[in-house]
Amino acid sequence: MALEDYRADMLRCTRCSYCKWVPFDQMKSGKFAKGCPSVEYNRFQPYSAGGRLAAALSLLEGRSSYTERFVDIAYNCLLCGSCDVSCKVCRYNIEPLRAMQELRFKLVEDGQLLHQHKAVIDGLRKEHNMLMKPGAGRGKWAEGLKVKELTKEKAEVAFHAGCRMSYDGRLQGIARIAVSLLQKAGVDFGIMGENEFCCGGRAFHMGYRTEFTKCAEYNIGAWTKAGVKTVVTSCSDGYHTFKRLYPEVGSNFEILHMVEFVDRLIKKGAIKFTRTVPMRVTYHDPCHLGRQGEPYAPWNGKEKKIRGQIVVYEPRKPRYNGAWGVYQPPREVLKAIPGLELIEMERIKEYAWCCGSGGGVKDAYPGFSAWTARERIEEAKSTGAEAIVSACPWCESNFSDAVKGNAMEMKVYDVMELVQQAL
Amino acid sequence: MPDRRIELAQIVGNNNLWDDPKALEAYSHDQSFALSIKPWFVVKPKNTDEVQWLVKWANQTRTPLVPVSSGPPHFHGDTVPSAAGAVIVDLSGMKRIIRIDRKNRMTLVEPGVTYGQLQPELAKEGLRLTTPLLPRANKSVVASLLERQPTLIPKYRWSLPEPLRCLEVVWGNGEILWTGEAGVPPRSLERQWEKGLAQVDAKGPAETDWHRLVSAAQGSMGIVTWASIRCEILPRVHRLFFIPAKNIDDLIDCAYKLLKVRLGDEFLLLNNVDLACILGDGTESIKRLKEELPPWAIIIGVAGRDILPEEKVEVQVNDIRDIAQQFGLCLMPAIPGARSGQVLGALLQPSGEPFWKLGYKGGCQDIFFLTTLDRTPEFIKTMYSLAAVFTYPCSDIGIYIQPQHQGVAHHCEFSLHFDPSNEAEVAKVKEFFTRASEELIKQGAYFSRPYGVWANMVYNRDAQSKALLNGIKDIFDPNHVLNPGKLCF
Amino acid sequence: MALSKETYRALEDIVGTENISDDPALCDSYAFQWLAETVRPNRSHFMPRPVAALVPGSVEEIQAIVKTCNRYRIKVKPYSTGWYFYGAPQKDGDDTVQLDLRRLNRILEIDEGNMYAVIEPYVVATQLQAELIKVGLNCNIIGAGASTSVLASATSYSGGGPGTIWMGHNSESLLALEWVTPRGDILRTGSLGSGAGWFCGEGPGPSLRGICRGARGARGGMGVYTKCAIKLTHWPGPAQFDIEGTVPAYRTPIPDNFRVYSLAFPSLAAFAKAYYRIYDNDLGYIFHSQFNMLGGDLGPAFWIMYNDPTKTLNDIEEIAQKPEVKKLTEEMRRAFQIILAGRSLRDIEFQDKVLDQILAETGGWKVGRMTEPDLAEFTYLYLSRLGHKHLNMVYAGGYSGTWNQPGTPDYTIQYRPLAEAQLRAEQQSGLLVQAGGDSMMGPGSTLGGGGNASFEQFVSYDPADKESVNAMKQCMRNSMKVATEHGFPAGHVVPYVQIGMTDEQLHQQFAKANQPLVYHLQRKIKELLDPNDIGDRMYSWLPDSKDSQPG
Repeated sequence: MALEDYRADMLRCTRCSYCKWVPFDQMKSGKFAKGCPSVEYNRFQPYSAGGRLAAALSLLEGRSSYTERFVDIAYNCLLCGSCDVSCKVCRYNIEPLRAMQELRFKLVEDGQLLHQHKAVIDGLRKEHNMLMKPGAGRGKWAEGLKVKELTKEKAEVAFHAGCRMSYDGRLQGIARIAVSLLQKAGVDFGIMGENEFCCGGRAFHMGYRTEFTKCAEYNIGAWTKAGVKTVVTSCSDGYHTFKRLYPEVGSNFEILHMVEFVDRLIKKGAIKFTRTVPMRVTYHDPCHLGRQGEPYAPWNGKEKKIRGQIVVYEPRKPRYNGAWGVYQPPREVLKAIPGLELIEMERIKEYAWCCGSGGGVKDAYPGFSAWTARERIEEAKSTGAEAIVSACPWCESNFSDAVKGNAMEMKVYDVMELVQQAL
Repeated sequence: MPDRRIELAQIVGNNNLWDDPKALEAYSHDQSFALSIKPWFVVKPKNTDEVQWLVKWANQTRTPLVPVSSGPPHFHGDTVPSAAGAVIVDLSGMKRIIRIDRKNRMTLVEPGVTYGQLQPELAKEGLRLTTPLLPRANKSVVASLLERQPTLIPKYRWSLPEPLRCLEVVWGNGEILWTGEAGVPPRSLERQWEKGLAQVDAKGPAETDWHRLVSAAQGSMGIVTWASIRCEILPRVHRLFFIPAKNIDDLIDCAYKLLKVRLGDEFLLLNNVDLACILGDGTESIKRLKEELPPWAIIIGVAGRDILPEEKVEVQVNDIRDIAQQFGLCLMPAIPGARSGQVLGALLQPSGEPFWKLGYKGGCQDIFFLTTLDRTPEFIKTMYSLAAVFTYPCSDIGIYIQPQHQGVAHHCEFSLHFDPSNEAEVAKVKEFFTRASEELIKQGAYFSRPYGVWANMVYNRDAQSKALLNGIKDIFDPNHVLNPGKLCF
Repeated sequence: MALSKETYRALEDIVGTENISDDPALCDSYAFQWLAETVRPNRSHFMPRPVAALVPGSVEEIQAIVKTCNRYRIKVKPYSTGWYFYGAPQKDGDDTVQLDLRRLNRILEIDEGNMYAVIEPYVVATQLQAELIKVGLNCNIIGAGASTSVLASATSYSGGGPGTIWMGHNSESLLALEWVTPRGDILRTGSLGSGAGWFCGEGPGPSLRGICRGARGARGGMGVYTKCAIKLTHWPGPAQFDIEGTVPAYRTPIPDNFRVYSLAFPSLAAFAKAYYRIYDNDLGYIFHSQFNMLGGDLGPAFWIMYNDPTKTLNDIEEIAQKPEVKKLTEEMRRAFQIILAGRSLRDIEFQDKVLDQILAETGGWKVGRMTEPDLAEFTYLYLSRLGHKHLNMVYAGGYSGTWNQPGTPDYTIQYRPLAEAQLRAEQQSGLLVQAGGDSMMGPGSTLGGGGNASFEQFVSYDPADKESVNAMKQCMRNSMKVATEHGFPAGHVVPYVQIGMTDEQLHQQFAKANQPLVYHLQRKIKELLDPNDIGDRMYSWLPDSKDSQPG
């Protein structure tokens, strides 16, 4: 696909502004009514999905050209997909999130880069991670764990730690918990250790399609070689990348997030909690596990019209609108923990407010990223919860930074950490 | 002024022109404290053309015109000339009820049509108009609505100018405009009716609500020569109840709740003085009733107008009773000194003679303004404090609170009764009236219809509105021929 | 055109560097507007590009901007949520700065007892409603739906919707108002100007409220409305909608004191009679002929499809062909939706009885499929919140309303068959969506308490297809032609078409209007309030030379 392929989407946008808000039926207050962090933070119209499509149309029509502002418009967005869900409350034939993603591809192809992204991508090219860390240290998180290395042994299940958990000292424990849970459940699994590559998802979202493809091809090849059938990860970015993006590169592994895996184990009785965790918590749906975590469905078709001008697709096109994301498993796991009280925030599931970490924003626009996280912590606080729980190291990392940076009172956990406490 | 007389006679005819002292005297003063200035002529136009010619003539001759629609007594000084050499344009002769449309519940009338004239005709068609509190029988319906007088049924008042809809206006520059829906084609009422239109919507045409510019203008912007008005269905079952209380504070929360859920048709709060004036017959009778009646009461009418009227009334009464009980109050068909039927009968008719405000002492001056219900006790307190200062008996102050615009705004009216033949008393009441008005305005009472001395008090606090209103006045009445000296003009 | 450096700097000094931009693409995103393609050269989707966009943060900043624009003779075009081509700069060659009011987004006050809220321009209807229902209050959400600015609909645009019969038209509910006039003065109307609070918009004396908005508002052409109070009404429902169902088919349980019906009638005469009987009996919390906006032939199939989240538009034909859907389609040819809300259970039971009697009198019926829980709960939420209103764009992204002449029910049903025949004929080309000739949607009343209705013919087209856009333009023209040939005003598309006219064409049209005086008087008002012409022609007027009113 190319940006030009989304020209019709741009022309069919009615600038209704649904993309700026949570779905209106779900609006519970004036305060937490906004859905799009980008336009809220950056204020001007082109920082919304509709506005971005209009700016892109302006570019395609030669009405404007690349400027510093244009580049900012394209990159200053979390690609969280809130706009996509709200748009599709009323639309079946427009893809704002994909169009915005395609805009980034075009910018990268045209050399319109952010230097902050470039540094990260250079790191990825050299060291295969997004944190600009040496590749050699990637497997250290698993030191001392008796776990198969998939470069040496075969296993049906691969546990993918991901960049953030591999390198972030605060979060490595989550990967270790995951491993111990898999071990307790008697799963035949392995890790790639030092040879694990970044999933490539974050490069994809920054607009670096080639780098993403390289990561995907490497990981798919490695898993295939190790006889892997199922990939499990605790990282929602990784989950989305494997589940939704890899199939386009030829992957057909079963992809599970740890919360799904643990949910299954609890329901099967393979995990039993023995300790109470007396805590009021609220759950934050990671964008890439929630609304963007819907199952992949292959499609290679084209637009056609029925009844004169109704725009449909031949064959029927899969509809990604957040309806079928992974929402219940993490909640089921939390509800199963004795003593733990789960309180919902106003914006949840398909219309959750983003943590602020995605879309390359954390790297290029740290102020925006921190503001987005702070907004979410405020929302969490408004529920009376003492902790915000997520299922993604990027969310947890960004929330922790926001809490620390703003001296806010809120504990931040991954679901797995609470599971561990209850065992 | 022989020339002017001739010119006026050419417009309205000799039979509709008066300049004899007795006639002029009648129009030179009213019940208010307004300065008495005699007009030079009184004319009674018969149709829009004559009104338009009069206005054009006034522009040519720079003659002040003072429009009057209702019969006497007048109370606010707005129909008394504020400039010398004025011609009274008495519209009471334009009395045609042009149309009554039952299906669309609209009537279209000329400005001389009075409540006393219109209500029986509407009743024949199964309709009625929501009225002010006991209007005098000769009160012009159009004038009452144009002046945004409060009406008794707040739930049917979706906007403050309701139920006034479309107008024909002769502006102060002589141009004629049809406002609202009537202003869109075809420009013929008959053809509009043939199409099924009924001049229902007051808005526009275009980006301006023209009817709002003549409302509460005291005839200073334009002269309305017909108006369409929304009617209500004549009730088939109609009852009335009281919710009495010792203090108004005890009624406020209950009133809010009832208004919120739009219970009650007629809905007003009266103190014992005003209710006694309505029911009493002469000074002694009113005095006696004042003592007998509870200090305060919500008066609430309940109507069944169309399908299942009895049941509708029953459902509403039960709901009202439940709500009253929640506030520790009782819904009663009678209170000491007043019975349901007696009060309902009074509310549904124009006032008897003398006008109900004049029955107690012969003279009465009102102070009225808009506010919110929760603020009324503080204004009452102010009035009572000032009454003490002026040695005016608090027990003689009538108080009427009328929810408007579905309960968002409340008309609050204090009636100061006095003996007009007692000069000292008149002077005292005048002083009390002026001082109280000033204090209430300072306190946040909104004098939305600033008659007489109120005009300066109000507009001096709102310079921006005053400046813009003057600019607007210059557009519609560039020579300031219409009722000069009123408002901020 | 571009702003001079001096002007840019003057404006930048007011709002700060981060709140102004003249970047071409950024400004183009303001110029991009729905319906632009029907009036712009080469069917462009862009209205004239503003020379800069500003995001002011206070009334003081706005006043300073307006004064600066007077100094430099720059036009000012404010918008709240900014949907519609009305909201963009109107004329090529005008130097216009776009004021995006999104930072004025506060609900300043909700007065529960006195039933009003004080709001800023960027408070959208659902935000306000979400706060109001917590305290048992509600606001009218206009037909354009949940995403609209309440202040804008009350002051500047249309203000009717499904709830208007109970809650009033938003122009009726407009109380006091704060207005930065094009001269840069701040006017506070009604009680606010007297320092008495927000509760009243009229007076003192003649209401300046009358020049703030009429049948329509100035749509950003006459200064900036920065705050207003809006009258609220009772909400006897839950403090929060508990949403069930899967996106997009959200629904919510219907409380015991509510009833939700789609009512259908054997003829248009019976349909109109029902309107009158509903008015006469004070029925209807929500009353709207809503669901046929997606076409008399296809609407029911669409709603069934929409309520199954596994389905897409690809499935609509198959659904439409099902015998039960075909039957439903015929059943709902002349239908509307009504929601009754009782202040008590005895009240709702009584209302139900009255409605049954009206149905007996008119030969109408409750559409069975629409009272089944899934669709009834969907209808209840949909019409209470209007959060799916942009489904009128669902088929291909393009929609324009035609017809929509307001009047009594008896009046409106006269043009309905004309509109139906006209659209069916237009659809033959295949360049418009073929959803049926009758897509007439409209509120049960355009005024509080009933009395007036209107029906807007929803025509869908593909804005990405130039031939389809052309067909839409033709359809708009034809709707005016057919209407006027049959003695009706040209209707809803007139102000749409006027956007594409030159000043001269526009003035010729005003000069031929029923009362050209209206436009002459408005010129004088404009001269008073906007001597430097910094507003645009959304506030309509006739130049002096076109005098045609005999006076």
